[in-house]
Amino acid sequence: MLPLLRPLLRRSGSLLCSALSSERDHASPLQPLDTSVEKRPVTDSVLPIIRKCSIPLPSHLIAGQAWLESLLHYDDERLGLVDLHPDVFTVPPRIDILHQVITWQRNFKRISHARVKTRAEVRGGGRKPWPQKGSGRARHGSIRSPLWKGGGVAHGPRGPTSYYYMLPMKVRALGLKVALTTKLAQDNFHVIDSLEVPTPDPQYLKDLARYRHWGDSVLIVGINNDFPENILQATSKLRTITLIPAIGLNVYSILKHQTLVLTLDTVDFLEEKLLWQDNRFSPLYPFKMPYSDFP
Amino acid sequence: MATIVQGFRGVRRILAGVRCKAGSELGLNLRSQTHTAAQLKNTEPPYKDFVESTEEYKYVERLIPSTRIPDPPKHQHPTPSGWRPPRDPPPALPYMIRRSRMHNVPVYTDITHGNRHMTIIRKIEGDIWALENEVKEFLTQLSGKTVITQVNEISRKLRIKGYFDKELKEWLMDKGF
Repeated sequence: MLPLLRPLLRRSGSLLCSALSSERDHASPLQPLDTSVEKRPVTDSVLPIIRKCSIPLPSHLIAGQAWLESLLHYDDERLGLVDLHPDVFTVPPRIDILHQVITWQRNFKRISHARVKTRAEVRGGGRKPWPQKGSGRARHGSIRSPLWKGGGVAHGPRGPTSYYYMLPMKVRALGLKVALTTKLAQDNFHVIDSLEVPTPDPQYLKDLARYRHWGDSVLIVGINNDFPENILQATSKLRTITLIPAIGLNVYSILKHQTLVLTLDTVDFLEEKLLWQDNRFSPLYPFKMPYSDFP
Repeated sequence: MATIVQGFRGVRRILAGVRCKAGSELGLNLRSQTHTAAQLKNTEPPYKDFVESTEEYKYVERLIPSTRIPDPPKHQHPTPSGWRPPRDPPPALPYMIRRSRMHNVPVYTDITHGNRHMTIIRKIEGDIWALENEVKEFLTQLSGKTVITQVNEISRKLRIKGYFDKELKEWLMDKGF
Protein backbone atom coordinates (compact mmCIF):
# COMPACT_ATOMS: atom_id res chain seq x y z
CA MET A 1 0.00 0.00 0.00
CA LEU A 2 2.91 2.34 0.67
CA PRO A 3 3.93 2.73 -2.95
CA LEU A 4 0.41 3.67 -3.86
CA LEU A 5 0.13 6.30 -1.19
CA ARG A 6 3.25 8.21 -2.08
CA PRO A 7 2.03 10.31 -5.02
CA LEU A 8 -1.23 11.08 -3.23
CA LEU A 9 0.64 12.38 -0.26
CA ARG A 10 2.94 14.52 -2.31
CA ARG A 11 0.02 16.01 -4.16
CA SER A 12 -1.59 16.96 -0.85
CA GLY A 13 1.39 19.13 -0.10
CA SER A 14 3.28 17.16 2.51
CA LEU A 15 6.49 15.92 1.04
CA LEU A 16 6.64 12.77 3.02
CA CYS A 17 9.08 9.94 2.90
CA SER A 18 7.80 6.46 3.29
CA ALA A 19 9.90 4.09 5.31
CA LEU A 20 10.75 2.04 2.25
CA SER A 21 12.07 4.89 0.18
CA SER A 22 13.67 7.03 2.85
CA GLU A 23 17.20 6.50 1.61
CA ARG A 24 16.13 7.62 -1.83
CA ASP A 25 14.41 10.83 -0.92
CA HIS A 26 17.06 12.36 1.26
CA ALA A 27 17.16 15.44 -0.94
CA SER A 28 13.73 16.42 0.35
CA PRO A 29 13.24 17.61 3.93
CA LEU A 30 12.71 14.52 6.01
CA GLN A 31 9.63 14.71 8.15
CA PRO A 32 8.52 12.18 10.72
CA LEU A 33 5.96 9.71 9.46
CA ASP A 34 2.47 10.91 10.19
CA THR A 35 0.67 7.72 11.06
CA SER A 36 -2.80 9.20 10.71
CA VAL A 37 -2.11 10.16 7.12
CA GLU A 38 -0.39 6.84 6.52
CA LYS A 39 -3.41 4.80 7.53
CA ARG A 40 -5.81 6.68 5.29
CA PRO A 41 -7.33 4.17 2.87
CA VAL A 42 -6.71 4.60 -0.79
CA THR A 43 -9.95 5.19 -2.61
CA ASP A 44 -9.73 2.65 -5.39
CA SER A 45 -13.22 3.21 -6.67
CA VAL A 46 -12.46 6.65 -8.07
CA LEU A 47 -9.58 5.47 -10.17
CA PRO A 48 -10.08 3.11 -13.04
CA ILE A 49 -8.05 -0.05 -12.97
CA ILE A 50 -6.40 0.24 -16.33
CA ARG A 51 -5.03 -3.26 -16.47
CA LYS A 52 -6.28 -6.58 -15.18
CA CYS A 53 -4.08 -9.67 -15.33
CA SER A 54 -4.97 -11.65 -18.43
CA ILE A 55 -3.55 -14.83 -16.92
CA PRO A 56 -5.77 -16.05 -14.06
CA LEU A 57 -4.43 -15.61 -10.54
CA PRO A 58 -4.21 -18.46 -8.05
CA SER A 59 -7.20 -18.14 -5.77
CA HIS A 60 -5.27 -17.63 -2.54
CA LEU A 61 -3.20 -14.69 -3.81
CA ILE A 62 -4.10 -11.12 -4.62
CA ALA A 63 -2.58 -9.07 -7.38
CA GLY A 64 0.10 -6.52 -6.69
CA GLN A 65 -0.66 -3.00 -7.75
CA ALA A 66 1.18 -0.05 -9.20
CA TRP A 67 0.16 3.35 -10.46
CA LEU A 68 0.01 3.89 -14.16
CA GLU A 69 2.12 6.91 -15.03
CA SER A 70 3.01 8.81 -18.14
CA LEU A 71 6.13 10.55 -19.36
CA LEU A 72 4.17 13.28 -21.11
CA HIS A 73 3.68 15.60 -18.16
CA TYR A 74 5.38 15.98 -14.82
CA ASP A 75 2.16 15.39 -12.92
CA ASP A 76 0.82 12.41 -14.86
CA GLU A 77 1.63 10.15 -11.97
CA ARG A 78 -1.60 8.28 -11.37
CA LEU A 79 -3.63 7.74 -14.48
CA GLY A 80 -4.97 4.47 -13.14
CA LEU A 81 -4.04 1.29 -11.38
CA VAL A 82 -2.21 -1.63 -12.87
CA ASP A 83 -2.71 -5.13 -11.54
CA LEU A 84 0.48 -7.18 -11.46
CA HIS A 85 0.48 -10.95 -11.35
CA PRO A 86 1.62 -12.13 -7.90
CA ASP A 87 3.61 -15.06 -9.30
CA VAL A 88 5.83 -12.63 -11.16
CA PHE A 89 5.84 -9.45 -9.09
CA THR A 90 5.31 -10.80 -5.56
CA VAL A 91 7.42 -13.91 -5.15
CA PRO A 92 9.44 -14.87 -2.05
CA PRO A 93 12.63 -12.77 -2.04
CA ARG A 94 15.38 -15.22 -2.92
CA ILE A 95 18.55 -13.18 -2.54
CA ASP A 96 20.60 -16.32 -3.09
CA ILE A 97 19.05 -16.66 -6.53
CA LEU A 98 19.86 -13.03 -7.32
CA HIS A 99 23.46 -13.68 -6.36
CA GLN A 100 23.62 -16.79 -8.49
CA VAL A 101 22.23 -15.02 -11.54
CA ILE A 102 24.46 -11.98 -11.18
CA THR A 103 27.55 -14.12 -10.70
CA TRP A 104 26.57 -16.05 -13.79
CA GLN A 105 25.98 -12.89 -15.81
CA ARG A 106 29.38 -11.52 -14.86
CA ASN A 107 31.25 -14.73 -15.44
CA PHE A 108 29.79 -16.67 -18.31
CA LYS A 109 31.11 -14.32 -20.95
CA ARG A 110 34.47 -13.85 -19.29
CA ILE A 111 37.70 -14.93 -20.92
CA SER A 112 40.74 -14.67 -18.69
CA HIS A 113 43.89 -13.92 -20.64
CA ALA A 114 46.24 -14.39 -17.70
CA ARG A 115 49.14 -16.51 -18.89
CA VAL A 116 52.63 -17.13 -17.54
CA LYS A 117 55.61 -19.01 -18.91
CA THR A 118 56.53 -22.46 -17.72
CA ARG A 119 60.12 -23.62 -17.32
CA ALA A 120 59.95 -24.93 -20.86
CA GLU A 121 58.98 -21.56 -22.31
CA VAL A 122 61.47 -19.33 -20.46
CA ARG A 123 64.51 -18.73 -22.63
CA GLY A 124 67.56 -20.82 -21.95
CA GLY A 125 68.10 -23.33 -19.21
CA GLY A 126 68.95 -26.26 -21.38
CA ARG A 127 72.31 -26.88 -19.81
CA LYS A 128 72.97 -28.37 -16.39
CA PRO A 129 74.43 -25.41 -14.44
CA TRP A 130 77.04 -27.45 -12.57
CA PRO A 131 77.86 -31.14 -12.18
CA GLN A 132 75.62 -33.24 -10.04
CA LYS A 133 78.30 -34.14 -7.51
CA GLY A 134 81.49 -32.75 -6.07
CA SER A 135 80.84 -29.01 -6.07
CA GLY A 136 79.27 -28.86 -2.61
CA ARG A 137 76.29 -27.00 -4.04
CA ALA A 138 72.72 -28.13 -4.32
CA ARG A 139 71.91 -30.27 -7.30
CA HIS A 140 70.18 -28.46 -10.17
CA GLY A 141 69.38 -29.44 -13.70
CA SER A 142 68.25 -26.11 -15.20
CA ILE A 143 68.58 -22.43 -14.38
CA ARG A 144 64.89 -21.97 -15.38
CA SER A 145 63.50 -24.38 -12.80
CA PRO A 146 60.61 -22.90 -10.73
CA LEU A 147 62.96 -22.85 -7.72
CA TRP A 148 65.21 -20.34 -9.44
CA LYS A 149 64.86 -16.59 -9.60
CA GLY A 150 63.93 -15.81 -13.18
CA GLY A 151 62.74 -19.35 -13.68
CA GLY A 152 59.41 -20.56 -14.97
CA VAL A 153 56.21 -20.55 -12.93
CA ALA A 154 54.83 -23.83 -11.64
CA HIS A 155 51.03 -24.23 -11.87
CA GLY A 156 50.48 -20.67 -13.06
CA PRO A 157 47.51 -19.45 -15.12
CA ARG A 158 47.57 -20.81 -18.64
CA GLY A 159 45.12 -18.58 -20.44
CA PRO A 160 43.01 -17.87 -22.32
CA THR A 161 40.56 -19.62 -19.99
CA SER A 162 36.82 -19.65 -20.56
CA TYR A 163 34.54 -19.20 -17.56
CA TYR A 164 31.45 -20.15 -19.52
CA TYR A 165 28.68 -22.01 -17.76
CA MET A 166 24.93 -21.89 -17.95
CA LEU A 167 22.45 -21.62 -15.11
CA PRO A 168 19.27 -23.65 -15.52
CA MET A 169 16.56 -21.73 -17.34
CA LYS A 170 14.22 -22.00 -14.36
CA VAL A 171 16.79 -20.36 -12.10
CA ARG A 172 17.33 -17.54 -14.58
CA ALA A 173 13.59 -16.97 -14.83
CA LEU A 174 13.23 -17.02 -11.07
CA GLY A 175 16.03 -14.48 -10.84
CA LEU A 176 14.07 -12.09 -13.05
CA LYS A 177 10.94 -12.58 -10.96
CA VAL A 178 12.83 -11.92 -7.74
CA ALA A 179 14.47 -8.82 -9.20
CA LEU A 180 11.10 -7.43 -10.33
CA THR A 181 9.63 -8.27 -6.92
CA THR A 182 12.45 -6.48 -5.15
CA LYS A 183 11.98 -3.34 -7.21
CA LEU A 184 8.24 -3.34 -6.59
CA ALA A 185 8.60 -3.94 -2.86
CA GLN A 186 11.18 -1.20 -2.50
CA ASP A 187 9.00 1.31 -4.36
CA ASN A 188 11.44 1.58 -7.24
CA PHE A 189 9.05 0.15 -9.80
CA HIS A 190 6.93 2.26 -12.13
CA VAL A 191 4.60 1.47 -14.99
CA ILE A 192 4.10 3.93 -17.84
CA ASP A 193 1.51 3.85 -20.60
CA SER A 194 3.86 4.55 -23.49
CA LEU A 195 7.31 5.81 -24.31
CA GLU A 196 6.10 9.07 -25.78
CA VAL A 197 7.88 12.15 -24.49
CA PRO A 198 7.06 15.69 -25.65
CA THR A 199 10.61 16.69 -26.51
CA PRO A 200 13.92 15.07 -27.53
CA ASP A 201 15.68 17.17 -24.92
CA PRO A 202 17.56 14.98 -22.42
CA GLN A 203 17.10 17.62 -19.75
CA TYR A 204 13.35 16.96 -19.76
CA LEU A 205 13.85 13.32 -18.79
CA LYS A 206 16.38 14.28 -16.15
CA ASP A 207 14.02 16.82 -14.65
CA LEU A 208 11.16 14.33 -14.78
CA ALA A 209 13.20 11.69 -12.97
CA ARG A 210 14.23 14.24 -10.38
CA TYR A 211 10.69 15.51 -9.94
CA ARG A 212 9.34 12.01 -9.42
CA HIS A 213 12.21 10.98 -7.10
CA TRP A 214 13.35 8.24 -9.43
CA GLY A 215 16.85 8.38 -7.99
CA ASP A 216 20.22 8.43 -9.67
CA SER A 217 19.65 5.93 -12.44
CA VAL A 218 16.60 4.79 -14.34
CA LEU A 219 16.11 1.76 -16.55
CA ILE A 220 13.27 2.25 -19.01
CA VAL A 221 12.02 -0.87 -20.75
CA GLY A 222 9.93 -0.85 -23.90
CA ILE A 223 8.46 -3.77 -25.76
CA ASN A 224 10.11 -3.67 -29.17
CA ASN A 225 13.06 -2.07 -30.78
CA ASP A 226 10.92 0.52 -32.61
CA PHE A 227 11.10 3.18 -29.94
CA PRO A 228 9.73 6.68 -30.58
CA GLU A 229 12.30 9.09 -31.96
CA ASN A 230 12.06 11.55 -29.08
CA ILE A 231 12.94 9.17 -26.30
CA LEU A 232 15.66 7.56 -28.41
CA GLN A 233 17.34 10.91 -28.90
CA ALA A 234 16.89 11.92 -25.30
CA THR A 235 18.29 8.74 -23.79
CA SER A 236 21.14 8.32 -26.26
CA LYS A 237 22.92 11.27 -24.67
CA LEU A 238 22.12 10.32 -21.09
CA ARG A 239 24.31 8.03 -19.06
CA THR A 240 22.00 7.59 -16.10
CA ILE A 241 18.78 6.87 -17.96
CA THR A 242 18.91 3.75 -20.07
CA LEU A 243 16.38 2.52 -22.60
CA ILE A 244 16.30 -1.17 -23.48
CA PRO A 245 13.84 -3.52 -25.19
CA ALA A 246 12.02 -6.05 -23.04
CA ILE A 247 13.86 -8.95 -24.59
CA GLY A 248 17.09 -7.55 -23.14
CA LEU A 249 15.81 -7.15 -19.60
CA ASN A 250 18.17 -8.84 -17.18
CA VAL A 251 18.83 -9.09 -13.46
CA TYR A 252 22.14 -7.30 -13.55
CA SER A 253 20.72 -4.22 -15.25
CA ILE A 254 17.67 -4.18 -12.99
CA LEU A 255 19.85 -4.11 -9.91
CA LYS A 256 22.40 -1.77 -11.44
CA HIS A 257 19.77 0.90 -11.94
CA GLN A 258 17.90 2.36 -9.04
CA THR A 259 14.50 2.66 -10.65
CA LEU A 260 12.82 0.32 -13.09
CA VAL A 261 10.22 1.76 -15.46
CA LEU A 262 8.17 -0.64 -17.59
CA THR A 263 5.59 0.08 -20.22
CA LEU A 264 2.23 -1.67 -20.05
CA ASP A 265 3.12 -3.87 -23.03
CA THR A 266 6.30 -4.93 -21.29
CA VAL A 267 4.36 -5.98 -18.22
CA ASP A 268 2.14 -8.17 -20.42
CA PHE A 269 5.17 -9.59 -22.19
CA LEU A 270 7.02 -10.39 -18.97
CA GLU A 271 4.00 -12.01 -17.36
CA GLU A 272 3.41 -14.23 -20.34
CA LYS A 273 7.02 -15.27 -20.67
CA LEU A 274 7.74 -15.78 -16.98
CA LEU A 275 4.49 -17.54 -16.10
CA TRP A 276 5.07 -19.92 -18.97
CA GLN A 277 8.12 -21.10 -17.06
CA ASP A 278 5.86 -22.19 -14.20
CA ASN A 279 3.83 -24.70 -16.15
CA ARG A 280 5.99 -25.89 -18.96
CA PHE A 281 7.36 -29.32 -19.68
CA SER A 282 11.05 -30.01 -19.74
CA PRO A 283 12.11 -29.48 -23.34
CA LEU A 284 11.45 -32.48 -25.52
CA TYR A 285 13.90 -31.01 -28.01
CA PRO A 286 15.49 -27.55 -27.98
CA PHE A 287 13.05 -24.67 -27.60
CA LYS A 288 14.38 -22.97 -30.70
CA MET A 289 12.75 -25.73 -32.73
CA PRO A 290 9.00 -25.60 -33.43
CA TYR A 291 6.45 -26.05 -30.65
CA SER A 292 2.74 -25.44 -31.03
CA ASP A 293 2.40 -22.93 -28.17
CA PHE A 294 5.80 -21.47 -27.44
CA PRO A 295 5.14 -17.97 -26.08
CA MET B 1 42.07 -22.93 -74.30
CA ALA B 2 44.86 -22.72 -76.80
CA THR B 3 46.27 -19.61 -75.13
CA ILE B 4 46.40 -21.37 -71.76
CA VAL B 5 48.23 -24.28 -73.28
CA GLN B 6 50.63 -21.91 -75.00
CA GLY B 7 51.26 -20.16 -71.69
CA PHE B 8 52.11 -23.42 -70.06
CA ARG B 9 54.47 -24.17 -72.89
CA GLY B 10 56.16 -20.81 -72.43
CA VAL B 11 56.77 -21.36 -68.73
CA ARG B 12 57.87 -24.97 -68.84
CA ARG B 13 59.28 -25.85 -72.18
CA ILE B 14 60.86 -29.03 -70.89
CA LEU B 15 57.54 -30.62 -70.26
CA ALA B 16 55.96 -29.23 -73.37
CA GLY B 17 54.82 -32.54 -74.74
CA VAL B 18 53.34 -33.67 -71.49
CA ARG B 19 51.72 -30.29 -70.96
CA CYS B 20 50.15 -30.44 -74.37
CA LYS B 21 48.54 -33.72 -73.51
CA ALA B 22 47.35 -32.38 -70.18
CA GLY B 23 45.99 -29.28 -71.88
CA SER B 24 43.95 -31.30 -74.25
CA GLU B 25 42.57 -33.27 -71.31
CA LEU B 26 41.70 -30.06 -69.50
CA GLY B 27 39.90 -28.82 -72.55
CA LEU B 28 37.91 -32.00 -72.73
CA ASN B 29 36.92 -31.69 -69.08
CA LEU B 30 35.83 -28.10 -69.47
CA ARG B 31 33.77 -28.94 -72.50
CA SER B 32 32.02 -31.76 -70.70
CA GLN B 33 31.30 -29.45 -67.72
CA THR B 34 29.72 -26.77 -69.83
CA HIS B 35 27.76 -29.43 -71.57
CA THR B 36 26.27 -30.74 -68.28
CA ALA B 37 25.49 -27.21 -67.04
CA ALA B 38 23.62 -26.45 -70.20
CA GLN B 39 21.76 -29.70 -69.81
CA LEU B 40 20.73 -28.77 -66.24
CA LYS B 41 19.57 -25.35 -67.30
CA ASN B 42 17.46 -26.75 -70.07
CA THR B 43 15.82 -29.60 -68.23
CA GLU B 44 12.45 -29.15 -66.55
CA PRO B 45 11.99 -30.28 -62.88
CA PRO B 46 11.92 -34.07 -63.01
CA TYR B 47 8.57 -34.46 -61.22
CA LYS B 48 5.69 -33.06 -63.19
CA ASP B 49 2.49 -34.79 -62.21
CA PHE B 50 1.95 -33.53 -58.64
CA VAL B 51 -0.31 -30.87 -57.08
CA GLU B 52 0.95 -28.68 -54.25
CA SER B 53 -1.50 -28.68 -51.36
CA THR B 54 -1.42 -26.89 -48.00
CA GLU B 55 -4.55 -28.64 -46.82
CA GLU B 56 -2.81 -31.69 -45.35
CA TYR B 57 -0.40 -29.58 -43.30
CA LYS B 58 -2.89 -29.79 -40.44
CA TYR B 59 -1.84 -33.39 -39.95
CA VAL B 60 1.72 -32.17 -39.49
CA GLU B 61 0.58 -29.47 -37.09
CA ARG B 62 -1.17 -32.11 -35.07
CA LEU B 63 2.16 -33.76 -34.41
CA ILE B 64 3.96 -30.64 -33.19
CA PRO B 65 4.03 -31.00 -29.40
CA SER B 66 2.94 -28.44 -26.83
CA THR B 67 5.17 -26.91 -24.18
CA ARG B 68 2.49 -26.28 -21.60
CA ILE B 69 1.37 -28.86 -19.09
CA PRO B 70 -2.38 -29.28 -19.56
CA ASP B 71 -4.92 -29.00 -16.78
CA PRO B 72 -5.98 -32.37 -15.39
CA PRO B 73 -9.20 -33.71 -16.89
CA LYS B 74 -12.40 -33.74 -14.87
CA HIS B 75 -12.59 -37.45 -14.14
CA GLN B 76 -14.02 -39.34 -11.21
CA HIS B 77 -12.02 -38.57 -8.07
CA PRO B 78 -10.05 -40.15 -6.55
CA THR B 79 -8.49 -41.74 -9.59
CA PRO B 80 -7.17 -45.32 -9.42
CA SER B 81 -3.73 -43.90 -8.67
CA GLY B 82 -5.07 -42.03 -5.64
CA TRP B 83 -4.69 -38.59 -7.19
CA ARG B 84 -7.10 -35.90 -6.15
CA PRO B 85 -7.25 -32.27 -7.20
CA PRO B 86 -6.66 -29.63 -4.54
CA ARG B 87 -9.76 -28.31 -2.82
CA ASP B 88 -11.21 -25.14 -4.27
CA PRO B 89 -11.23 -22.75 -2.43
CA PRO B 90 -8.05 -23.73 -0.59
CA PRO B 91 -8.34 -24.50 3.14
CA ALA B 92 -8.33 -21.58 5.55
CA LEU B 93 -4.98 -22.24 7.18
CA PRO B 94 -2.08 -19.88 7.93
CA TYR B 95 0.01 -21.70 5.35
CA MET B 96 -0.53 -22.85 1.79
CA ILE B 97 1.11 -25.60 -0.21
CA ARG B 98 0.70 -25.40 -3.94
CA ARG B 99 0.79 -28.35 -6.28
CA SER B 100 3.84 -29.00 -8.38
CA ARG B 101 3.73 -28.26 -12.09
CA MET B 102 2.65 -31.84 -12.72
CA HIS B 103 -0.26 -31.35 -10.26
CA ASN B 104 1.23 -33.55 -7.56
CA VAL B 105 1.68 -32.75 -3.88
CA PRO B 106 5.26 -31.46 -3.57
CA VAL B 107 6.55 -33.99 -1.05
CA TYR B 108 9.80 -35.71 -1.93
CA THR B 109 12.36 -37.99 -0.36
CA ASP B 110 16.04 -37.29 -0.21
CA ILE B 111 19.03 -39.39 0.78
CA THR B 112 22.57 -38.32 1.53
CA HIS B 113 25.58 -40.18 2.92
CA GLY B 114 23.94 -43.43 1.89
CA ASN B 115 21.74 -43.66 4.97
CA ARG B 116 20.51 -40.18 5.91
CA HIS B 117 16.86 -40.49 4.95
CA MET B 118 14.82 -37.31 4.70
CA THR B 119 11.46 -36.11 3.50
CA ILE B 120 11.11 -32.64 1.97
CA ILE B 121 7.96 -30.56 1.62
CA ARG B 122 8.35 -27.83 -1.00
CA LYS B 123 6.34 -24.87 -2.29
CA ILE B 124 5.17 -23.73 1.14
CA GLU B 125 3.68 -20.25 1.32
CA GLY B 126 2.64 -18.34 4.41
CA ASP B 127 3.44 -19.39 7.96
CA ILE B 128 5.95 -22.19 7.53
CA TRP B 129 6.43 -22.51 11.30
CA ALA B 130 2.74 -23.32 11.82
CA LEU B 131 3.09 -26.08 9.26
CA GLU B 132 6.17 -27.37 11.04
CA ASN B 133 4.30 -27.61 14.34
CA GLU B 134 1.41 -29.48 12.74
CA VAL B 135 3.71 -31.84 10.88
CA LYS B 136 5.60 -32.55 14.09
CA GLU B 137 2.41 -33.27 15.95
CA PHE B 138 1.08 -35.53 13.21
CA LEU B 139 4.28 -37.51 12.77
CA THR B 140 4.89 -37.85 16.50
CA GLN B 141 1.48 -39.43 16.88
CA LEU B 142 2.14 -41.61 13.86
CA SER B 143 5.58 -42.89 14.73
CA GLY B 144 5.50 -42.57 18.51
CA LYS B 145 8.85 -40.73 18.50
CA THR B 146 9.77 -37.08 18.34
CA VAL B 147 10.56 -36.31 14.70
CA ILE B 148 13.37 -33.98 13.79
CA THR B 149 12.49 -31.21 11.38
CA GLN B 150 14.37 -28.38 9.74
CA VAL B 151 12.79 -25.23 8.31
CA ASN B 152 14.34 -23.30 5.45
CA GLU B 153 12.51 -20.00 5.37
CA ILE B 154 14.45 -18.67 2.39
CA SER B 155 13.75 -21.47 -0.03
CA ARG B 156 10.41 -22.27 1.67
CA LYS B 157 11.15 -25.91 2.39
CA LEU B 158 10.51 -28.19 5.34
CA ARG B 159 12.88 -31.11 5.85
CA ILE B 160 11.94 -34.06 8.06
CA LYS B 161 14.24 -36.81 9.23
CA GLY B 162 13.01 -40.20 8.01
CA TYR B 163 10.87 -41.32 5.10
CA PHE B 164 7.30 -40.11 5.64
CA ASP B 165 6.42 -39.12 2.09
CA LYS B 166 3.41 -41.37 1.60
CA GLU B 167 1.91 -40.43 4.95
CA LEU B 168 2.53 -36.73 4.43
CA LYS B 169 1.13 -36.72 0.90
CA GLU B 170 -2.06 -38.36 2.12
CA TRP B 171 -2.24 -36.02 5.11
CA LEU B 172 -1.78 -32.92 2.98
CA MET B 173 -4.34 -34.10 0.42
CA ASP B 174 -6.83 -34.67 3.23
CA LYS B 175 -6.20 -31.14 4.41
CA GLY B 176 -7.16 -29.93 0.95
CA PHE B 177 -3.82 -29.06 -0.65
